[in-house]
Amino acid sequence: MKNRRFSNFFYDYIQPILTNKKSLIGLIILSFFILMATIGPLVVPLNMNSNFAERYQKPSLKHPFGTDYFGVDIFQQIVHGSRSVISLTLLASLFAVIIGTIFGVARGYIEGIAGKILDAVITVFLVIPSFPALLILAAIFTNAKLNAVEIALLVAIWLWAPLAKQISAQVLAIKSKEFIEASRMLNMGLGYILFSDIAKLLIPYIFINFVTQIKSAMEFSIGLMFLGLAKFDPTHWGIMLNYALYQAGALYTPKGFHYPFFIILNIVLLIYGGILLAQGIEEVFNPKLRGHE
Amino acid sequence: MEGNQLRYIVDRLVYLFIVLIIAISGVFVLVNKMPGDPAYGLAVSIAQQRNMQMDQALEIAHKIMGVDPHESLVVRYFRFISNLFKGNFGYSAFYQTSVNEIIAKSLPWTLFVISLATFVSFMVGIFMGAFAAQKRGTIIDLIISTISSIIQAVPPFVLAVLILFIFAVRLRVLPIGGAYPVDVEPSFSVQFILKVLHHAIGPMFATAIPQMAAWTLAMRGNTSQVMEEDYIRFAQARGLKDSVIANKYIKNNAMLPLVASLAISVGYMLGGHTLVESIFNYPGIGFYFGKAIAVRDFGLLTGLFSLIVIGVIVATFIAEIIYALIDPRVKLK
Repeated sequence: MKNRRFSNFFYDYIQPILTNKKSLIGLIILSFFILMATIGPLVVPLNMNSNFAERYQKPSLKHPFGTDYFGVDIFQQIVHGSRSVISLTLLASLFAVIIGTIFGVARGYIEGIAGKILDAVITVFLVIPSFPALLILAAIFTNAKLNAVEIALLVAIWLWAPLAKQISAQVLAIKSKEFIEASRMLNMGLGYILFSDIAKLLIPYIFINFVTQIKSAMEFSIGLMFLGLAKFDPTHWGIMLNYALYQAGALYTPKGFHYPFFIILNIVLLIYGGILLAQGIEEVFNPKLRGHE
Repeated sequence: MEGNQLRYIVDRLVYLFIVLIIAISGVFVLVNKMPGDPAYGLAVSIAQQRNMQMDQALEIAHKIMGVDPHESLVVRYFRFISNLFKGNFGYSAFYQTSVNEIIAKSLPWTLFVISLATFVSFMVGIFMGAFAAQKRGTIIDLIISTISSIIQAVPPFVLAVLILFIFAVRLRVLPIGGAYPVDVEPSFSVQFILKVLHHAIGPMFATAIPQMAAWTLAMRGNTSQVMEEDYIRFAQARGLKDSVIANKYIKNNAMLPLVASLAISVGYMLGGHTLVESIFNYPGIGFYFGKAIAVRDFGLLTGLFSLIVIGVIVATFIAEIIYALIDPRVKLK
């Protein structure tokens, strides 16, 4: 029985993702970075001691991405930083999806004044422009040393609203279906209806949104670090980029061009992997893009 | 039917007004939770100018800003809201002037760049998207879609910094900052207008390029979807020319939903423009917003943020009205 279930899950969800070209390439890119984040720091040692004799070395076998202003190997920093970049992004996306799902399902299911209030809360977060609000929020905490969970929550607050809006629309459409009526007649309880009946239908949808959040979660967290508004791991790519462009002025010296270049290349490649996976999964699961059934 | 439409509009207005009040109140509380006394900076300069004790200077600074430090947040909040209703966006401690004055001189620059960027990105995006969809499956489609996706993967601030460093610092074909050269008096001469356009190129492209990619991908998706619709097959069966079908039927119907989201995108650009303007030192509202955060100018910050939120809500309302006009199903709600 359990095996049947697993193979159904494989044929329904995993196989379509692997056969779509976009999501496959996206998955390969992301796996590469996840591998870098998990086992990379164990294989590649990090030596942050400055060595001025070696500053701004061109990429070579010894230094695959060259060295920075202080003569520190850039490749080592990228590998070690990938851990905080990826964990922050995944945490922020996860929080956004959890908050968005709770608000969305509640808004879709609850009627009357309470529902209206929930709807207003979601709309408020929709109309407040995310990035400026995030800047203010970051300024409040600028002197606090935040951990990954706290920064991820800070970012997630500005990501969940669109998902909540979409989920509430989906729930509104499903809740009048017969099997929900049946559960209600059988007195199955609100919890069962919400989390078993409705959530089951929403899971592919929530998964798509988790993946599409990745892009903005990454952009926001890197932006925060880049602006120097949140103190965190010094090898986080946003902080590295801040050092490269503003502290070391790498773009002013012809010798330093590779320094920001490799940081930006990794940022863009990682976000591109996320976009490809999201596009692919959307093509597979979004009935609108699938054409007529 | 007319009555229904009017009711829909009035309902939405009331609802969005409530949302506006909640949003602005939230922003007010958030800003006032920021650490630091906003009057402190002003007090320091007063103390230096007039050779005064710091606590005395602080008292004067609070008087100038109209802030009573012993006043509760609630009282301040109600004054802020009632001022806002009178069209008074508050007072900037850092610039020692009313926020209205700063808005008056900075908002035109922001609107200028945003409208330019929107026009260029929308036109190019619509064209590229429709073109890619009609060539679906060919190498041209692959190139357009791939480039658009890669552009989407570049964070806007990275793009802005790259444009600034490559074209202004290294190649020196664009100015480093400002809306026009500091040594030139504003006038309506051709020369001055050319200078203004030259200074707008950097921020304009930094804003337009990500938008362009987004419009292209959206238009490509919509066009592909419309091409599958039954009425297109009917049109083909009626023997209409391919070019007529492509332009009159497919392009227009694919474009309509995008026209509605045009308003929303302009609203959001008001907020998203902050970083671009700060990076290019372009004196629009985003530049002053970034400055206000850096120097903890609470008055300027709440004033500008309220303005941005009002902009987004007005844009949302306009978009909803356009949707209602385009899609008759919306009216029935």
